[in-house]
Amino acid sequence: MMMKPPGPKPALLLPLLLVLLHSPSILAKDPAQTAATVCAACHGVDGNSTDPAYPKLAGMNQEYLLRQLRAFASGKRRDEAMTGIIAGIDVADFPALAAYYGKQKRKPGVVRDAGLAAQGKRLYEDGNTESGVPACAGCHQPDGEGNARFPLLAGQHQAYILKQMADYRSGRRATDPLMTAVSKRLTTEETKALAEYIAGL
Amino acid sequence: MNMHLRTLGTLLAGLGSALALAASPGDWNAPYPEKTEALSLRGDAARGEAAFAICQGCHRVGATGRADGSYPRLAGQHATVLIKQLTDVRSGRRGNPKMLPFADHQVLSTQEIADIALYLQALPVTPDQGRGSGADVERGARLYAADCASCHGARGEGDAAKFYPRVAGQHYRYLLRESLLIRAGGRRNANPEMLRAIGGYGDEDIAAVSDYISRLPVAPP
Repeated sequence: MMMKPPGPKPALLLPLLLVLLHSPSILAKDPAQTAATVCAACHGVDGNSTDPAYPKLAGMNQEYLLRQLRAFASGKRRDEAMTGIIAGIDVADFPALAAYYGKQKRKPGVVRDAGLAAQGKRLYEDGNTESGVPACAGCHQPDGEGNARFPLLAGQHQAYILKQMADYRSGRRATDPLMTAVSKRLTTEETKALAEYIAGL
Repeated sequence: MNMHLRTLGTLLAGLGSALALAASPGDWNAPYPEKTEALSLRGDAARGEAAFAICQGCHRVGATGRADGSYPRLAGQHATVLIKQLTDVRSGRRGNPKMLPFADHQVLSTQEIADIALYLQALPVTPDQGRGSGADVERGARLYAADCASCHGARGEGDAAKFYPRVAGQHYRYLLRESLLIRAGGRRNANPEMLRAIGGYGDEDIAAVSDYISRLPVAPP
């Protein structure tokens, strides 16, 4: 019978982890350098990704970004690309990295179908009372600016919004029961219309 | 033998008290830990306003609700009533699948429920609620005085201490929908007194009294 080797108790590691998460390390790297070498290939050095499969990060609330970084690091939020990459970033660098991308200026998105965007606007501002879809504006703000709790949506790539909604729907992204419910209540057409409207915000 | 009898006796007594509890008139508002906690917490209206973002996608900015009755007006409702309804929804005591994901523990903390309730209670009730057709308001007034006013108040102000909701200023279509649901036994956390009061009402009675309520003045004189 194998015995488990005695290791440090998790309860003792927790305070250490908290200290690491909350104090800027003297060894912290320049966030611009991390952005350029680790993040830029997908998110762009200024946080305006050109590949619509990857989200724009520019201008997002830094608390929100920090929470996502930590969620990827802990495995609470999973993604094919991010889960591998996040392991290579020091948790001590997360706050500065989040602040760096938060300070970048977001470039507007591109609306390709104005009619679809108009449908999306109605849903975004008014929801769907029949299916119990709330107005997105309630949390994400009428202009899509979001805040520390709810992410900035304005100008985001359609493809990225659609992927997140699909991930919520499938349970792959299970970070928020509210969004899971909303993603299931929206029809495919409604989701597309919302993504189109959000791109133009 | 004696032991068995005693066990049986204990079982029967337990069953008896369980049945008594289920049938007890106080059961609709029996205490349970989260409700008790939320009622005892000190709310903060500013935090409540921020947390209400989660609710306003449906209940609208300013908690005005919708005249089509899809979502009730919450502005000006008693904090006690709001806390009871919110914790009842999220604990499954009030079946509301539409709202349930928005009241999830991962979405709202118990403290936020207290905060939101305090914020909503102080919001102004604007006199623009949806009203009925006006066809039978006199009958509605008679029914209200006879069966509703003793709990909901002559002016529809409700009773915070007794968890009776304020009804003045509520949308006609919401009053109608919920009254029909309560009469049908579909609102599980409803006061049995309410069921008794409207159990014998016909559809026209419920429409008339809902119409009357929707016309009660909302601003205090």
